[in-house]
Amino acid sequence: MTTTKQKKDILLNIKDLRIEGYSDEKWIEIVHGIDLTLHRGEVLGLIGESGAGKSTIGLAAMGFARDGCRISGGSIEFDGMELTTTPESDLRALRGSRIAYVAQSAAASFNPAHKIIDQHTEAPIQYRISKRLDAQEDAMQLYERLRLPNPTEIGFRYPHQVSGGQLQRAMTAMAMACRPDLIIFDEPTTALDVTTQIEVLAAIRDIVDQFNTAAIYITHDLAVVAQMADTIKVLLKGNEVEEASTVEMLENPKEDYTKSLWAVRSFQRPQKLRPGGDAVPVVSVQNIDAAYGDTKVLEDVSFDIYEGMTVAVVGESGSGKSTTARCITGLLPPTKGQILFKGEALPPSYKNRTKDQLRQAQMIYQMADTALNPKVKISEIIGRPARFYSGLHGAALKNRVDELLDLIELEPSKYYNRYPPELSGGQKQRIGIARALAAEPTFIICDEVTSALDQLVAEGILRLLDRLQKELNLAYMFITHDLATVRSIADEVVVMQRGKVVEQGPKEEMFQPPHHAYTDLLLSSVPEMDPNWLTTLLEERGVDNVGEAADV
Amino acid sequence: MSYFVVGYYALLIGLSCLAAYYKQRTPFMLLFSLTLASFIMGIIGGVSALWTVTLAAGALALAAGTSYAFREFLVIILPRETAKEIKTAPLTASFGMFVIFTYAIAGIFAPIIAPHGESQVIASAFAPPDETMLLGADQLGRDMFSRIIFGARNSVGLALIATLLAFFMGAIGGLFAATKGGWFDQLLGRIADVIMSVPSLIFALLILSIFGTNLAVIVVVVAVIYSPRVFRLSRAVAGNVVVMDYIEAAKLRGEGTWYLIRREILPNSTAPLIAEFGLEFCFVFLLIAGLSFLGLGIQPPTADWGSMVRENATLISFGDMTPLIPAAAIALLTVSVNFVVDWMLYRSSGLKE
Repeated sequence: MTTTKQKKDILLNIKDLRIEGYSDEKWIEIVHGIDLTLHRGEVLGLIGESGAGKSTIGLAAMGFARDGCRISGGSIEFDGMELTTTPESDLRALRGSRIAYVAQSAAASFNPAHKIIDQHTEAPIQYRISKRLDAQEDAMQLYERLRLPNPTEIGFRYPHQVSGGQLQRAMTAMAMACRPDLIIFDEPTTALDVTTQIEVLAAIRDIVDQFNTAAIYITHDLAVVAQMADTIKVLLKGNEVEEASTVEMLENPKEDYTKSLWAVRSFQRPQKLRPGGDAVPVVSVQNIDAAYGDTKVLEDVSFDIYEGMTVAVVGESGSGKSTTARCITGLLPPTKGQILFKGEALPPSYKNRTKDQLRQAQMIYQMADTALNPKVKISEIIGRPARFYSGLHGAALKNRVDELLDLIELEPSKYYNRYPPELSGGQKQRIGIARALAAEPTFIICDEVTSALDQLVAEGILRLLDRLQKELNLAYMFITHDLATVRSIADEVVVMQRGKVVEQGPKEEMFQPPHHAYTDLLLSSVPEMDPNWLTTLLEERGVDNVGEAADV
Repeated sequence: MSYFVVGYYALLIGLSCLAAYYKQRTPFMLLFSLTLASFIMGIIGGVSALWTVTLAAGALALAAGTSYAFREFLVIILPRETAKEIKTAPLTASFGMFVIFTYAIAGIFAPIIAPHGESQVIASAFAPPDETMLLGADQLGRDMFSRIIFGARNSVGLALIATLLAFFMGAIGGLFAATKGGWFDQLLGRIADVIMSVPSLIFALLILSIFGTNLAVIVVVVAVIYSPRVFRLSRAVAGNVVVMDYIEAAKLRGEGTWYLIRREILPNSTAPLIAEFGLEFCFVFLLIAGLSFLGLGIQPPTADWGSMVRENATLISFGDMTPLIPAAAIALLTVSVNFVVDWMLYRSSGLKE
């Protein structure tokens, strides 16, 4: 998209960059000699799994190394300045004014105690680039360009008073405050819903184009990077795998690793149909209403889940997906309606359910970090449900734990005595699955189980869940906002919006038009691998509608 | 000019030069500023001032050496996992551990170590130190050193029991309050508020004058006074753990409250609780010493550091430092415990760098 720009000069030139991290009382190299060249106005996409060193390289481009990291070799040349040898005080002047950084979570990066505009104008005033009122005026203009609602007023709110997508755009505006030459975007849309993601992407792309700013765009989502970047660099464990222009990379990846990244979204399994006749659904949610205090969050939600089937519940955050799960598990007793388990009504609160009722429905959580007690051994985490429900102990218990570890494809002897913090994200999620399986349930709620994981790891988890479903004939309720996941694993889809079920039906039917308007919005917002996807979509929707779509 | 002064400056300058040659900036700055400061001190205070500096440096070096050696000793005798932790301890922490260890030995083996009984009159009142009495005699002619040793057992032992009780009540209450929530939480919280709203020393004086001053009453009163602080801390810490998904998972499994506290919450809140235990111990210790000083704590003739300060207080006006010895014993223990606690806090929390 920026290929038509006039002759570009080199802005950032990184040669043989090596970065070391401190762990276990010694320095270990985590980035092994990366070369990187960035011209003015160019957007470079850095992609790779977590731990590939993307963020570390992004920060190094500002001459910065995180605590416990150090730049141990190579050179970073920014517009003729060698950053590795520049004193800290000069680097500070450079950061914020000429190089800006947009972090993954805007909510965590804004100071909640100050108004947005005060934080926005801090850098220009600090560097004496403009006066307070001018800076404020400029901020409003930037807000307008980024299509924030009420650009003259929104800056005077506190960060918690605006939505996540708006905050992320405000942060992009803040990065532009000093008109930097280089902006580093570190996964700016990963924490957002698909519908909000689009507006942020469009805003970032526009502003980068308008001011001819160079950018490094860090992400693990290929479809996103395809929209944003001119060139893409693929990283693996601190090494460069390959670099090519976006079009070439998408059409003709050379290395096997890149191809495997591209292939992730291809996992698909045939859709199953509801068992015929008078089969009783495993779980039947019937007309439930629920409220937190006086705020009503669910209204008349009903759907059925049959044995051996996967029902995906999709919707934006705040649409009531997880609340429905809380109602089913009994953590939040519904105010109206009932939940049937194999035809029998479940007591509304988990406290009144029998041990066997509790055993039948298990849950796998989104964040494996908080779902596993960090101070308890793996053997105990998995063994406890087995002992609690089936009364196993001694050798029988150990055999059962080994069996479960085998089931989730982890070597029992290696993991038996370890603690959760010693495992990787994907392994933790597997332990979470094993804990659910240990109870021998018939029904499992998977709450965004893959959204915190890299695509390759996520695919492994999906395949595992699929295999377990076939072997153990489990029913899944799959809560997600990622439609690619839905496409690959679901049999039936329930679309929720603002606490109501908008549409539901078998997957194939749901992915065929005609859709409900909201389903259509969700579906069309999922990024595709086509580099022109965003442009086409924006044209179709009309630029002015983007903001509105996100306000839904 | 005495050889001592010549040697003193020669050593300092020599060491500064060595530090500078090996590019050790911080030691060099330290040594050389000490040299310059010594010029001034030498001019004002004469040789005796330099002697004081030398002795202070010597004492510091001795303490550092002891701490280092003690740490190495611990690393060797302890099992591997613990040894790895100890290895990272700063010298202050190992100094603290050494002092606590010494006090423990003194307290446990008091009858063997002490040359005389704790209430045995062996000399005239306020007799100065001699071969049989390391630190002289107190106002009744009892051996000061023996009483210090026995005091370690009585004062520290009492403080330890009181702290343990306070901790037991506070932590159990706090953990239950956080897990149960609702009216139970409210009830305990308000009780804690009531106790905390009364100034602790006045509360202790009041109760002790009602029930009389025996050991059991002291322990219970002190424990009641300090348990609300433990209650609040453990409730806050547990409050952060209770919202985790793994607690939800355990609840959904149908686990009881006691299991949740014991197996899920407690392992995740031990670090701040242990640190709090150290701090709490210091406060309890000081409160008991204060009560003794006021005559309401441990009753004579039992040796106790707080009351020893009071009994010998008259000596201070004669320029004798005997009453300061038990006070120093209290101070040293408090500082040492805090050293260890600091290190534990550093390890357990985000205080790194």
